[in-house]
Amino acid sequence: MKARVNGEEVLLTEETSMAAIIARRKINPQAVVVEYNGVILTREKFDSVVLKENDALEIVAFVGGG
Amino acid sequence: METQLIIAGQQIRSRFFLGTGKFASYQIMKQAIISSGAHIVTVALRRIDPQAKEENILEYIPKDCIVMANTSGARNAEEAIRIARLARALGCGRWIKIEVIPDNKYLLPDNAQTIYAAEVLAKEGFIVMPYVNPDLADARRLRDAGAASIMPLGAPIGTNKGLALRELIKILIEEIELPIVVDAGIGRPSHAAQAMEIGAAAVLVNTAVATSDDPVSAARAFSLAVEAGRLAFESGLSPIRESAQASSPLTGFLR
Repeated sequence: MKARVNGEEVLLTEETSMAAIIARRKINPQAVVVEYNGVILTREKFDSVVLKENDALEIVAFVGGG
Repeated sequence: METQLIIAGQQIRSRFFLGTGKFASYQIMKQAIISSGAHIVTVALRRIDPQAKEENILEYIPKDCIVMANTSGARNAEEAIRIARLARALGCGRWIKIEVIPDNKYLLPDNAQTIYAAEVLAKEGFIVMPYVNPDLADARRLRDAGAASIMPLGAPIGTNKGLALRELIKILIEEIELPIVVDAGIGRPSHAAQAMEIGAAAVLVNTAVATSDDPVSAARAFSLAVEAGRLAFESGLSPIRESAQASSPLTGFLR
């Protein structure tokens, strides 16, 4: 199954929840916000959302900026 | 005694705003925020890079600061609105610096797209701080759209050229009742003081501080200049003259 995470295609071999994607990348869920197919996903939904073919994720965080 | 700066009903402790980009480390950035006494600091939003193992910048920003996300990277209103909503979802409040830049050479903002984004975001409850070219008609449109302040550039971002657009900024200060925050191009404390002397409400600096040899001292220098410039503005300085005027009495000479 293919999905896009931050613009890059990733292959997922099994059903993967949003929480698992976050955990696998060692990301602190409190420090990021996720956009799931163009819709902002609140942290409470990370466990219940399971990725489907062609889903698109953006995982973003604050960085230094002017 | 300097009057208080109030934006969107909130008292702002310092008229010096600091951007957090380009610092060598978040630790140095934190020290610069503290040494300057900045109350409003800006941040950007980017895709995370899991390889980079980046730290969470928010842990280095003092808790009593207002974190204002910018929409840098947005090339049109739609992208700016998307970034603003994501920033709010990250949980740092409603302050947003709208920055719509379609041009990579001079990094000049697109006022029309910024006005549209301001209309949408103000209706959604954001405290809208638009970064714009200093144009009076556009500043009025932004005011009508619900902007909390107007942030004209002094000179293109990162150029350190100072108040290249001084005359146009002065017009905004005179004609627009919102706080005018000079953002971008301020490269020396003297530039910051000049902006404040002509009546700017505040100044936002990033590059000049972050890329100096000692950002902690530079931040303090800019902050002091902002305070000095503000006090000078409020003290109602006498006009600049073409010919000399003696400062000592012109009577009682020992001749």
